[in-house]
Amino acid sequence: MIPYLSLITFIPLLGAIIVLFLPNDKIIKQFAIVWSIIPLILATVAWATMSTWQPPYNFVYNYCGPAIDVASASYTFGECAPWIPVIGIQYHLGADGLSMPLIWLTTLLTTLGLFYSAKVINTRVKEFFALFLLLAVGMLGVFVSLDLFLFYLFWEIGLVPMYFLIGIWGHDTDRPQYAAIKFFMYTLAGSVFMLLGIIALYLYSTPNTFDMTLLAAGQSNMPFGKDVLISSLAFLGFFLAFSIKMPLFPFHTWLPDAHTAAPTAGSVILAGILLKLGGYGFFRVLLPIFPQVSQQWAFWIGVLAVISIVYGSLVAMAQTDFKRLVAYSSVGHMGFVVLGFAAAAALTAEQMTNQNYINSGAAAINGAVLAMISHGVITGGLFFLVGMLYERTHTRELSQFGGFGAQIPVYGALLLLTAFASLGLPGLAGFVGEFMVMQGAYSTLTILAFIGVWGIVFTAAYFLWKVIQRILLGSADERWVKLPDLKGYEILTLAPLAVLMFVIGIFPNWILDSINTATIVILEYMKQI
Amino acid sequence: MITQIPLVYYLALAAALFCVGSFGALARRNAIAVLMGIELMLNAVNINLVAFWRYGAADPVVNQAGIVFALFVITLAAAEAAVGLALIIAIYRSRDTVNIEEIDLLKW
Amino acid sequence: MVQNYTLFIPALPFLAFAIIVLLTRKSNRLSALVAITGVVAALVLSYGVFVEALSEGAELSLNPFYGAPIVWAPYGGMSFNFGWYVDPIGAAMLFMVPTVCLMIFIYSTAYMRHSHVDEHGHHHNEDDPRYARFFAYISLFTAMMLLLVISSNLLEFFIAWEIMGFCSYALIGFWSFRGRKEHHIDDAQVGRARAASIKAFLTTRVGDVLLMTGIILLLLTVGTLDFTKMYDPQVMNNMLSATTQPLPGVEWPVLIALLIFCGTIGKSAQFPLHIWLPDAMEGPTPVSALIHAATMVSAGIFLVIRTYPLLTFAQETGGAAMQVVAIVGAFTALFAATMGLAQNDIKRVLAYSTISQLGYMLAALGIGAFVAGSFHLITHAFFKALLFLGAGAVIHAVGTNDMFKMGGLWRKMPITFVTFFIGAFALMGFFPLSGFWSKDEILLEALRGGYFPHEGGQDIFLQVIYLMLAVGAFITALYTGRQIFLTFFGKPRDPEAYEQAHEAPAAMWAPLAVLATFTVFLGFWNSPFAPAFFHFVGETGFMGMGPFEHVEFDQIALSNAFLSVGIALSGFIAAWAIYGFRSVKAGQSDPLAHLGIIWKMLSSKYWLDELYGYKINLDGTAKPGLLIRLVGLVMRFLWWFERAIVDGLVNLAGWFTRLLARLWGWVDSHIVDGLVNATGSVTGEIAGWWRTMQTGNVQNYALVAVAGAMALAILFLLRSFT
Repeated sequence: MIPYLSLITFIPLLGAIIVLFLPNDKIIKQFAIVWSIIPLILATVAWATMSTWQPPYNFVYNYCGPAIDVASASYTFGECAPWIPVIGIQYHLGADGLSMPLIWLTTLLTTLGLFYSAKVINTRVKEFFALFLLLAVGMLGVFVSLDLFLFYLFWEIGLVPMYFLIGIWGHDTDRPQYAAIKFFMYTLAGSVFMLLGIIALYLYSTPNTFDMTLLAAGQSNMPFGKDVLISSLAFLGFFLAFSIKMPLFPFHTWLPDAHTAAPTAGSVILAGILLKLGGYGFFRVLLPIFPQVSQQWAFWIGVLAVISIVYGSLVAMAQTDFKRLVAYSSVGHMGFVVLGFAAAAALTAEQMTNQNYINSGAAAINGAVLAMISHGVITGGLFFLVGMLYERTHTRELSQFGGFGAQIPVYGALLLLTAFASLGLPGLAGFVGEFMVMQGAYSTLTILAFIGVWGIVFTAAYFLWKVIQRILLGSADERWVKLPDLKGYEILTLAPLAVLMFVIGIFPNWILDSINTATIVILEYMKQI
Repeated sequence: MITQIPLVYYLALAAALFCVGSFGALARRNAIAVLMGIELMLNAVNINLVAFWRYGAADPVVNQAGIVFALFVITLAAAEAAVGLALIIAIYRSRDTVNIEEIDLLKW
Repeated sequence: MVQNYTLFIPALPFLAFAIIVLLTRKSNRLSALVAITGVVAALVLSYGVFVEALSEGAELSLNPFYGAPIVWAPYGGMSFNFGWYVDPIGAAMLFMVPTVCLMIFIYSTAYMRHSHVDEHGHHHNEDDPRYARFFAYISLFTAMMLLLVISSNLLEFFIAWEIMGFCSYALIGFWSFRGRKEHHIDDAQVGRARAASIKAFLTTRVGDVLLMTGIILLLLTVGTLDFTKMYDPQVMNNMLSATTQPLPGVEWPVLIALLIFCGTIGKSAQFPLHIWLPDAMEGPTPVSALIHAATMVSAGIFLVIRTYPLLTFAQETGGAAMQVVAIVGAFTALFAATMGLAQNDIKRVLAYSTISQLGYMLAALGIGAFVAGSFHLITHAFFKALLFLGAGAVIHAVGTNDMFKMGGLWRKMPITFVTFFIGAFALMGFFPLSGFWSKDEILLEALRGGYFPHEGGQDIFLQVIYLMLAVGAFITALYTGRQIFLTFFGKPRDPEAYEQAHEAPAAMWAPLAVLATFTVFLGFWNSPFAPAFFHFVGETGFMGMGPFEHVEFDQIALSNAFLSVGIALSGFIAAWAIYGFRSVKAGQSDPLAHLGIIWKMLSSKYWLDELYGYKINLDGTAKPGLLIRLVGLVMRFLWWFERAIVDGLVNLAGWFTRLLARLWGWVDSHIVDGLVNATGSVTGEIAGWWRTMQTGNVQNYALVAVAGAMALAILFLLRSFT
């Protein structure tokens, strides 16, 4: 029984420490890349063997008592040991179909980010690579934690390295310090409220616990019972933290600044993984622990989601800076994830008895989670593409480009692919999630869904009009005559993402299959309302 | 039989000697003289100890604490004199004086 | 049992696409070879399935070839599957699509070579710089069209549909970018292609979003998208059991059917979303033939065919769903024909003609003439592909699209002329070409009342439809005649272009000949005397619908046939009178321009581009219409709102926090810290005074010690006295 999750989470930490002691930049770079492949391999193996870990063999070790055994039956690779027993804090890890793809994606994007950074980062190399590995620890920790205290701890760990990545290696013209502080303060402000929520959950549960699996509805205790006020407040705390991280309109303005200022690999991780922490929280914490409150607020959350979709895509359309445009596209896409959450949450007790409604709720959750993963792949790719273009032209102003389709055809093909994946072309990754979210949304939030669906048209509009037309189309400009096409390492960076875009789009079942198992469990929790 | 000299005589002698020693230690400027004053004070104490042993002990043969203490003090005095003289020589070498009023490194 | 391999039909061209992209893209010849091999393989397999389907005969309607073995996306206890579904009309499409595709592939191998004059005045033929990419795109397109034809459920259908939309976008914009050494296109062309491709994708996307809405609502109300399960009457009735109406006075089936029909409006370029198709002619001509005439745009019609039971169900449950289809189709048929009259671009005439003919099909389907509409879909694909390829051969020869720079070309390119002539006469509906049989059938159904589920017989609605279609047929003959006379007859108006014109190479005229053969003979598949197509497709009913009645060949049918040929003939004669009798001279404006404001209206396409479209000028500039500018206004407002209000509030919060911080900073340094500092300085004062005790003189210390000892002794003594 290998403790996969601990290994996956802490191997990068060990790597970060080792990096500090390595003598020169070249060795640091090579070491960090190779080292980051280890968690990727582990995560791949873990995901592949996940289905063989059925109860009662789903724990590596459990020193926390039989109650945990029962409550986390749906999790695999379980690890549980008391940590601070006085207040019931446990070191409880576990993964299911919801977190496993995200863990895998995190390890993949970390490796790719390190690989690309090895070529473009040449200042303060040691710090960069150590911080980057530390960042991975924070994100992976959030995905594997099943204890809210641990969850919060990792949640905050992720902030620090990102702050430095933006502040130190950011583009000087983009006010990196401002962006870094904005990012840090904004997210911190959100997570403070989450901490309050966590404490409220602890205080109101009997016996007092931080354990997510025990807190989930229908398990041994129901925090708050019918106390609507307290549970709504606790819900709000979590909701604020998650929706800032997401980010959801109107809490999104840290995102364009942070994305624009961050170095390429930082933007990739920021868009690819960090935003997903919020989405993950929606499905891991809010739906199972607060099904009732979620149901009450679902419509209004849906309203915010739809505003995010339409507003995000229209504002993206107004951008003149390539990177900022991609950043705003994330606002729109994440809106779909929240819409999926709202659609599933909106299922009433009466609808939860109807199999058709349950299935469309499942479609909403499946779609939202898949949308997160495909957004990670696609937007990660887009930020790489932005960075590669910037390395060549030293500008990101869309009006400066033109005719690159003929000038640098490989770049053009990959940009075309990624842009179409992002605007939701069927057969590529973006569509499946979007469609299933809409499927769920139409069943419970019909009017909102019908408004949100126009976001798809606007998204297509700005990708075609702003991105593809401005960059690839037109006649080649004399200024860019010497522009070199993508080099080997750049193609190697993008290739895994491009392959994933196809594979997810053409045959999504390989991911959806595991997400669906987790979704069914979440729906079981929701039936307790 | 000659009447024994009463204890108070010894004590008076010792007190007088102690006062002389104290004056030397407190008032002389020469460090060596200060050291000698201290020796005098120690010897005054020795007289006291021996006197008390002779007059105070229930069985002077068995209870010899007084002279043992006196012996200790003599040893100590010898050691003290050695260390003290060494210090004084060291100070003399570095500062060219043994005038105690000029040795005020601890002044605020 | 070829049917079990049906899924390989789209897979083979897709494989060709993958091979070209990954392996052979550097080699033009090899890429073309791979593409053609892929489509030939698909064609062989398709013909196998088609033959097997024919051998099943009418029984196939009741037991279509079906399988859905691949789980694509699970949700809860359900899943979307991938599979195949071949019923008679699907089988007919499996005959039509790969045939046309193969012809166009072969044609493209020659068409995508451009003649080019070097500095010494020598003529060279060289491949288009993106020759391999062209074949990759059309292979992908072919794969998706075939997937659409065989798809087993609406989601699979939709996926193929959308990817075709991408191919259409990429191919319309095939010349939308230009390297420095590419001289076969100019900047104006680049600008036009760029704008046209975006316009096409976005306009169809508007329809697609509504289509997606319809598909999802259908899924939610009936619980499945699978063609074999969806149209079960009991399942369909689920739609009615929904407690509330979605909109006041509209039932779910009607709403859903119309939303799905919106997809057709976008893809098949029906009014009001027809605006993209004429501009789509910026793509290479084989693309116009393949995508914008024969296959992709007819996929919209195929969607109506696939959801036909839903439409009839909606009609029966009290909605006017089919009337909407009919009226949109008939109106577009007439409306587009009028615009086709005023075009100077040889391909744009054909584009409007395509829109118009698609309108005919929809009108037929809308009035319940299922078989007639389907048959026109098949025949039209052949003769319209023929016309486009013929136009392409002309363009390739003279180097311009403008018909007013042509003239007299029949002498220079006789094969192209003859085949084009056949295609044009089929389009006009002359006996006995295939267009006659299918179009005449549509008019006849409109005259009789079709198989319209309810009323039957003539009513005012059908009379209006009939009138529109008949007038449309007249204008069709008029603009087609105009095209023929301007292009092939009269005196050459541009001698230079005329001089360099030449007959198309064999790789181009051979497909023309094949398509012309089909155009001549295909009509007999459904002649009233031996209606094999009807027996195959319509006799046993379709997807749970009752069988269609066969129309007897009677007096009405005969007179209608004479009437429709008469209409076509009068249109053609009118065209001859205007354009043929006294041929148009160089520099002379169009004789019909005397119509004044009406002509202006027609040639400006009723100013719809200015209203809600995107007007693309000949010089490559483009101007957004009112609606788009409105969206732009909203966009700019929101961007201002984002910076000033949303981000402004965040920054205000930050600024306010800093203000507070400065305030507290003052309080901290002056009051809180002041107290602390006060403690320190007082202590310091006392210490400064106190430390003077430290003299450094050992004797002082000893004195103090002695004095202390004495004081203690005195204290001790005093205590012992008391």
